[in-house]
Order: sequence, then structure tokens, then C-alpha cells
Amino acid sequence: MADEPNVHQPKTDIAPGYTFGTVTDQIASVVLTRRTPFFWYAAFGAGLVLLLLFLLAVGVLFVKGTGIWGLRTPVMWGFAITNFVWWIGIGHAGTLISAILLLLNQRWRNSINRFAEAMTLFAVACAGMFPVLHLGRPWLAYWLFPYPNTMGVQPNFRSPLVWDVFAVSTYATVSLMFWFVGLMPDLATLRDRTHNRLARFAYGILAMGWRGSARHWSVYETATLLLAGLATPLVLSVHTVVSFDFTIAIVPGWHTTFLPPYFVAGAIYSGFAMVLALAIPLRSIYGLQGLITDRHLDNSAKVMLATGLIVAYAYILETFSAWYGGNTYEQAMVWHRMTGPYAVSYWSLMLCNILAPQALWFKRVRSKPVFLFISAIVVLVGMWLERYVIIVSSLAQDFLPSSWSIFQATRWDWATYIGTIGLFLFLFFLFIRLLPMISIFEVRTLLPSAKVEEEAES
Amino acid sequence: MTAQGLDFQVSPELRADLKKWRTRSLAIGIFGALSSVAGLLISPFQFYHSYLWAYLFVVALAVGPLAWLMLQYVTGGAWGVIIRRPCEAAARTLPLVALMFLPILIGIRNLYEWSHPARVLADEALRHKQPYLNVPFFLVRTAIYFAGWWFLGWYLNRCSAREDSEGHAAVHGKMSAISGPGLIFWGLSVTFMSIDWVLSLHPEWFSTMFGLLFMASQGLTSMAFLIALMVLLYYRRPMSDILTPRHLHDLGKFLLALVMVWAYFSFCQFLIIWAGNLPEEIPWYIARLNHGWQYVALALVIGHFALPFSLLLSRDLKRNFKLLASIAVFILCMRLVDLYWLVAPDFRKESFGLSWMDFTAPMGLIGIWLAYFLYQLEKRPLLPPNHPHLEEVLEHGRE
Repeated sequence: MADEPNVHQPKTDIAPGYTFGTVTDQIASVVLTRRTPFFWYAAFGAGLVLLLLFLLAVGVLFVKGTGIWGLRTPVMWGFAITNFVWWIGIGHAGTLISAILLLLNQRWRNSINRFAEAMTLFAVACAGMFPVLHLGRPWLAYWLFPYPNTMGVQPNFRSPLVWDVFAVSTYATVSLMFWFVGLMPDLATLRDRTHNRLARFAYGILAMGWRGSARHWSVYETATLLLAGLATPLVLSVHTVVSFDFTIAIVPGWHTTFLPPYFVAGAIYSGFAMVLALAIPLRSIYGLQGLITDRHLDNSAKVMLATGLIVAYAYILETFSAWYGGNTYEQAMVWHRMTGPYAVSYWSLMLCNILAPQALWFKRVRSKPVFLFISAIVVLVGMWLERYVIIVSSLAQDFLPSSWSIFQATRWDWATYIGTIGLFLFLFFLFIRLLPMISIFEVRTLLPSAKVEEEAES
Repeated sequence: MTAQGLDFQVSPELRADLKKWRTRSLAIGIFGALSSVAGLLISPFQFYHSYLWAYLFVVALAVGPLAWLMLQYVTGGAWGVIIRRPCEAAARTLPLVALMFLPILIGIRNLYEWSHPARVLADEALRHKQPYLNVPFFLVRTAIYFAGWWFLGWYLNRCSAREDSEGHAAVHGKMSAISGPGLIFWGLSVTFMSIDWVLSLHPEWFSTMFGLLFMASQGLTSMAFLIALMVLLYYRRPMSDILTPRHLHDLGKFLLALVMVWAYFSFCQFLIIWAGNLPEEIPWYIARLNHGWQYVALALVIGHFALPFSLLLSRDLKRNFKLLASIAVFILCMRLVDLYWLVAPDFRKESFGLSWMDFTAPMGLIGIWLAYFLYQLEKRPLLPPNHPHLEEVLEHGRE
């Protein structure tokens, strides 16, 4: 971090030399005119294959029940909840970039917010699969909602699992609205530029009659600010509520007071890792280095480093408090994690989440996209392991040694998990192909010729 | 108006004002200190307890700005340049704050149960914690906190002074290079400081949120103080030529954010412990939510969160100098209430109460600290004249 502090916003959020026309051309051509690169077919194809695997896994699950997973008493929250927490955490970076950085006037976000928001949506979609599949009878999922029913049965409002239903569904709704509202001006651009009649019809309907009048823009600005204001607390609240799923229970290793902010930091950590893991290949395949610049990668890496340090702080404090608190079960839990059946996972997560990302202190590492891509993948693995260790190790060895049992993931656990990665890739590359992956009009506001002071204030 | 056309030196009229404020706060400080010393003779027990919680407030005033200083070097931003000099002045008060720790050292037996060897032997929980909670190690840790804070403050001040005299090139990159590791040290030291000085008052209890809560509190205390100070300075040159509502708006946003963060941390800690209802955790809250203390807790919910939160949402209010400063001062008062609520129930288990020393101790400590702070503040120009982006910072305010 030894570089010069960027006081105020520097003038170069994107590479020099762009004009209104070239920005629009370059971004729109990916969807409209350019030949689809081989990379896209490969990635989309891989996504499709894994999606089919997911459908298979879910089909078998529906026929046979959750017994096909490795769930045995006492570990009833195995992969399903791990994956849920992992995916929903990944989504947080998108909301942070689109909402919080908008409110903070961080305009460099303008060229990464679109695909980060798409990432949020698809990650939430993947996350949403797991609690529903985990129900055992997913067709009764609507029982989670407090709807008026003849049986007079309501969900238990003191249970954080019910709060989760509201938190996640609100999050999904607001994210979708934010993304769609932000897309409208660009959909209109595509509508006006495409020569394909079907595409013009489809984009035309989705653009909802956007003509770009001053009135439209004024309403648009207000709507974006309001949605950003709504989405900002959601960055905190969703993962806070997810962490309550654990802390409200008095299981050793779960019940600790800093878990909410620690989960939020971990979520942003993994989310920025996913942003980097997506942005680095995309920008080199489509030649977008001028729009998603090294500065974007550098900033994202710095956010990753900062949130990673918060996560490291949490590990230190967790270990210290287990000893200081003097609770036998807490101490045993930490000891089991370090030396027990999950020791390999525990130490790998320490390596991936704490040790490896320290390389990001060095400018030389942050300026090499290849290194950044590798560290992003390492962090994604680390954060998955973290959720796995927290969930499984605390349940496998809790209070009574007589009820201890070790969780072993089955191939269906893996198939479902890898399947959702397929679902994510499938949706994401569909998005890349059909919609502008970078916000055209917002990037245009970054050009020197667009020196119109816009105020986005809270 | 350009940066070159402005003089950032403390103007003669401001100097006169600073002198006036300094004399007044010193008078209040000496009065408070002398009456507290009288209190020491009457009831040492009460004296040390009043001293401890008042001292925590002063620590936040001196150590909190250190975090703002390092944060602005790491992230940049116009807001940081505006408050840089007051933050540096606050960091220069750290030797005095370290000196003020001495009474706690002397009265350690009156404060911490674990400092009595006999009681430690008799209590299994205390015996378990003895490798950490013992007087020599406590002193070593305290020395490390102060040494680290002092070093960071000294180094950043020295770089800043060199920037003034030799130009920015002489210190380019140095401040941000130390600020990254410095922030890590700050986070860890504030965490363990909160464990040592406050949490160990109730040695059976532990909450992993406590350190974060103290970090947020220090940020909030110092930001509220800085806002009130900026508004005071605004009425005299040079700040009257520089400070604009937009600068203040930026600081107001931080205030709002920290009010929310404080509430978020406090509520999460409460909810988790309340829902868990475990015998080793809940007594801390039982002590703070019964025997009259529940009204203090309620006052915190309203005064430390609901009221400032709803007021600070307003954009116009954050741009109104007087209103924002009044809210900042109100928040500072609520910070005192919060510290009292954190510390005092461990000494007043039977019921809520206040001693006259709970007024004289903060008067003495804050008064003396403030006088010293104002003395430090007037030594340097109020903005860094050789800052490379100064023009943009001033421009930022006029946009």
C-alpha cells in the first residue's frame, strides 16, 4: 500500500483515448456484432454439463431423499448449509460495489458494477437452492412463510431460520430490481443498435420504453439512489442473519458474539475474490483492459486484503477467547478443529484465508493479473473450507462424546455442490452473451468529455 | 481562490480564542482534578472507579484520531486532509494520556479482582486466566499499547512536519506505508486494551464482540469530537476561508455510519447473549439491565442510537454547522453514559447510582487533556500546506 494516496477521485477511472462512441461500440459489440469467442462456448458448455449434473443430483434427491447426502445425526447441516453460506457470501460483493460504492461516490465502480450485480443475482439463486433442497420435502417450502392457513400454524418467529427466509428473499428482490433498473438505459441502446428483429423486440420490451429523455434520467437517478439506500443495509443484514443461524444456537464454535461482523467481512472477502476470478479472464478474452483497468483489480485486491485481515482477526480472537473464556466445550472444539478429523480442512483454510493473501500487500503481486487470479481462487477455496469447518466440526463433536460422529461427504454432496457451480457459470455466460456486461452509460460518465457533476449523496 | 493564496497558520484572532478556551478548560480540569484528589482521601475505591471510566473516554479522544489519521493515508479522500492536523495534535497528546494511566496502576487492587493473589487462588476461573490476567503481564501489555500508539503518532507527526518544511517529495509514500501495519496494530491493541482495562473487571465474562465495539466507540468518540472542533474553528481564519458545508457533510456521514455500526455491534452482542442465555454470559447483562441500570440502557438505545440516527439521516442537517456540532456534542455525552454503563455496574451491583466523583473525574481528565490538546493544535498550520492534492481538497468543498 505504499503508493500515493488518491485524494479526491483521480481523472483516470478508465484508460485514456475513449470517446462516447467507442465505449458504446466496444461494450455493445460483445453482444451484438462480434463473433462469439471459443472461450465463451467452452465456459458455457462446461456450465451446461455441470448444470445437467445438478439436475441429475436433484432428481435423485427427490426420488430418494436427503439420505443420499452424508447427513447423519448429529451432523444434519453438511454441505447444503455450507454451500448456502458460501454462495450467499459471494453475492455480497456485488451489492457492496453497486450500492455502497455508489453512495460513497467511488466512481471507478462504474465499469465493474454490472457484472458484479449479475454475479450477486446468480449467486443468490445458487444459494437459494440449498435450504430448499435441504428441507427434504421441498414442495412444502411455502411453509416457511407465515401465510394464513386453516391449521393456524405459524413459523417460529424466534428462530433465525425464519429471519433467513425474509432476509434472503428481500435481498434477492432488491438485487434483482437494482440490476434491472440499472440495465434499462443499456437495453434501450441495444434495442436501437441491433439489426436482428427478434432481438430488437426482446430488448425493446425489456427497455420498457426508455427514450433517454431528461425526465427519464431524473427519475432514473432518484430510483437508483433509493435502491442503493435500500440495498446498503442488506449487505450487512443478510449475512448477519445467516450468522444468527449459528450464534443463536449454543453450539460450541457457533455461539460467539462477533460472528455477525465476521461473517459479513468473510462474505465480502469471498465476493471480491469471485469478482476478480470473473473479471480477469473476461477482460483479457474480450479485450476490455481499457475499461476494467489494472486499477480496478488493484482496488479489489486491496478490499480483499482488508476483509481478509478482519477474518484473520476473528481467528485470533476465537482461539484466544476459547482459552480465556474457560469453557471446556469451547476449548475442546478449538482443539478438535486443530487436531481432530477436520484438521486438514482447518489448516488448509488457515493457509488459504490468512497466509496466502498476505502476498497482496505487495504492489508487484497486485499488478499481475495472473497472481491475482490465483489468489482469488485460493480465497474462494479458503472461504468454502471455512464455512465447512465451522458447520461440520462444531456439529460432529459437540457436548456428548457418545453422540459424536464424523461427517463424510458422499458423491451426491459433491455433485450437488459442483452442480450449482455449473448453474452459476451457465447463467453468467448467458448473461455475458445476451446483455452488456459493463454498464455502457455509466462508463460514459467517466469520460473526460462527460464532466457533468453528478451528486450521489446519502 | 487557490491554495497558494491562503495562509493556514493559526490566525491571531484564533490564537486568542484558543488561549481563552485553553485557560477555561485548564481551570475546569484543575478544579476537577483537585476535588477528585480530595475524593481519593475520602473514598479511594470510588475514586479509582470514577477515574477508570473517565480515563477510557480520554483514551478514545487521543487514540481514536490515530485510526482516522492512518485510515486517510491508506484510502485518501478530501475528508482526511481537512481533519489531519487536529488528529496529529491529538496523537501528540499521547504521552500525557500515558501519564494519566498512573493512577490506575496505583489503584489496580481497587479495580481488578484478579490482581489479588489470594482471590485468584480461591477461584478456579481466575486461576485458569492467571497466565494472562496478572499484574506484571498487564503492565507489559499496557506498555506495549502506549509504546505502539506513541510511536505511530510520533512517526506520522514527524513525516508531516517534514512535509511542511521540505515538501511532499521528502515523505512521499512513507505515511501510507506505515499506516497499513499501523491500523492492524491499532485494531489489535484496542481489542486487547478493552479486554484488559474493561472486560477483565468482570473476569468470568467474555464477549468476542467487545474489541470491535471499542474500536467503533473510539472512532465515534473521536469523530464527534473532531466535528465539534472543526465547527469551533470555523468561526475564525484560516478555517473560515476553507471549510465548507460539503467538507462537513463528509464527516457527518462518518458520524452516521459509526452511530449505526455501534448500534449494530451492541445489538448483535446483546441478541446473541440474550438468546443463548448461558450462565457464564448472561450475568453481565443481568447486572446492566436491572436495579435501575435498565433505564440507563434505555437512554442509550434512544440517545446513542435512535435520536442521532434519525437526525443524521437528513442531508441538510449534516451541512448545517451548528446543528451538526450540537449532535456531535450530544453524542459525546452519550459516549460518557455508555462508558459508565459498561464500567460502573461491576462496582454498583446493588443499584444504579452516581457519586460526585463521577462528575469531577471526567471534568479533571477531559479538562486537562483538552487544554494540552489545544496547546498542541496551535503549534502547526491547520492544513498541510505542501499536501500534493490540496487544491483538489479545497475545490472538493466548493463543488
